[in-house]
Amino acid sequence: MTILLKLSAAIDWLSTQVGKLAVWCVFAAALISAGNAISRYAAGASSNAWLEIQWYLFAGMVMLGGPATLRLNGHVRVDLIYGNMRPRAQAWLDLVCTLLFLMPAVGIILWLSWPLFANSFAIGETSNNAGGLLRWPVKLLLPVGFGLMALQGLSEIIKRVATLTGHREFESRYVKPVQ
Amino acid sequence: MSGFDLMAPLMFAGLIVFVLIGYPVAFSLAAVGLGFGFVAIELGYFPFHLLAALPDRVYGILSNELLLAIPFFTFMGAILERCGLAEDLLEGFGQLFGPLRGGLSYAVILVGAVLGAITGTVAASVIAMGLISLPAMMRYGYNTRHATGVIAASGTITQLIPPSLVLVVLADQIGAPVGDMYAGAIGPSIVQVLLFAGFVALVSIFRPKDVPALPPEARTLKGTKLAWTCVRGMVPSLVLIFLVLGTILLGVATPTEAGALGAIGALALAALHRRLSYRLMRESMDSTMRITAMVIFILIGSNVFSLTFRGVDGDLWIEGMLTDLPGGVVGFLVAVNLLVFVLAFFLDFFEIAFIIIPLLAPVAKTLGIDLVWFGVLLGTNMQTSFMHPPFGFALFYLRGIAPPSIRSSDIYWGAIPWVILQLIMVGLIIAFPELVTAFIETHEAADPTKVQIELPTVDDAPAVIEIK
Repeated sequence: MTILLKLSAAIDWLSTQVGKLAVWCVFAAALISAGNAISRYAAGASSNAWLEIQWYLFAGMVMLGGPATLRLNGHVRVDLIYGNMRPRAQAWLDLVCTLLFLMPAVGIILWLSWPLFANSFAIGETSNNAGGLLRWPVKLLLPVGFGLMALQGLSEIIKRVATLTGHREFESRYVKPVQ
Repeated sequence: MSGFDLMAPLMFAGLIVFVLIGYPVAFSLAAVGLGFGFVAIELGYFPFHLLAALPDRVYGILSNELLLAIPFFTFMGAILERCGLAEDLLEGFGQLFGPLRGGLSYAVILVGAVLGAITGTVAASVIAMGLISLPAMMRYGYNTRHATGVIAASGTITQLIPPSLVLVVLADQIGAPVGDMYAGAIGPSIVQVLLFAGFVALVSIFRPKDVPALPPEARTLKGTKLAWTCVRGMVPSLVLIFLVLGTILLGVATPTEAGALGAIGALALAALHRRLSYRLMRESMDSTMRITAMVIFILIGSNVFSLTFRGVDGDLWIEGMLTDLPGGVVGFLVAVNLLVFVLAFFLDFFEIAFIIIPLLAPVAKTLGIDLVWFGVLLGTNMQTSFMHPPFGFALFYLRGIAPPSIRSSDIYWGAIPWVILQLIMVGLIIAFPELVTAFIETHEAADPTKVQIELPTVDDAPAVIEIK
């Protein structure tokens, strides 16, 4: 169990670090997008590369931030029933559903998304827009993001098992994400 | 497809069960979609390569420029919440209207509307007003239920007043231009503010003790000092409103860029108030990243679901049910609004928007309903999802910051008159569609959102829609 918990801690650390990247994508995207609007209006200049980089960063926010959000229990739930469960029941529900829902779903999408990247990389696909960007880096974000999500799912499973077997304290605090 | 007819209803039932048990919605949706997807492939509904289109859909979501508005507006709201603008506004207007009965309520409604025109998130408004106005209202003897109700409702109005996040998301799901949705929402926003103010006026006539005027000793600001406080709140607000809403309506910026401009503007404002710090930046970016990831993952999940759902002709099933309703278009509208109202008790607006709306929009289109009008109508209705006890977000935030002396039951009961006012607004929009449509014609200007990056759409669902 100790080894597994160490593995889980390592995964959590990785997700957190990658999440920090996603956090900075927010600021960079906002700056670039505002800059695009200003330069188009003030200077009449507009560049497809700069327009595209903003949604590359958006993709980064989502795919790199998703696992960190899972670690923080930040994916929204309908807490009609869940909110009234005891911590032990919540841990059971999380364990079973992560095994049955999250892992297979994320695994399948991960498996399906690899060719998307691989094809793009193989042919050196670029944007159809003049001066557009290479496509494979953003497509790589899909398998990377879903891969990290699967890892984080594994970490959550380990933590729930540890909790249920008494190797770890209950910490099923779920706070609805602010909107 | 006879004999297989049960598949879509079964899938829908599975959706309800698995979403309700309380596992994160994004993954429940994806799992239901994939689980039923494999069964459907086995039963010969569609070939496997339909599911292979999934990554393309995810990629399509990530490259959707409009959805980028979600983090920008969230970021802007998160900064505004922490930068002191609401404080200035409330202080000024509170003192200005204070001598009137119900004055603090009017101030809250007005400030709610102004904040709503700047940002697109409820949290920013409700938290700021709850922290500043609620203690003042309590101190001067306002009825608790009235005070909490007006704050929650005025914070929620943010979702109707452009540039609202709800309208962005709805526009994306319905397939209507955001600029038109914003223009269409202007009329209903104004009427909704007037409805709220009218209600406060009625309360001040019939139950004057609930909303007393400020006593003279509480009116600390007078003359030029009062004027200065109001100006200090209003000028930055107007600048921000222009930066966001003005640039969209003039066609200078896309809604997404306007959101980015607003976020940068909010940072500048925070700097002006000497509140800009690394911590403020970090916290705002942190919560923005989490909300964005959370929301987009729901959207990814719901796409997985709808891919299979359409593969088993679920869209036709829903369409058949909804078009056969008695009363034609009116019957459909009543049913839809009831459905959204009821769902709003336990689903958030993102969940409604991503799961339910894609099922409804094609039906509305078939029935010849104006989609922009339909979107604004749903947006108005979805306001109630923020106000429903016990899970409404506005109430939830208010509970978080209200002093313990205020009971949760007061917050819940206090919300009810305002939910009714919101429903009256829904009725008004159905009765007088001109409220929405009148504002759209005036602005059919070029919409720069539409000329953007070409998505490599691999359109999945083997175009099923044939109307018999």
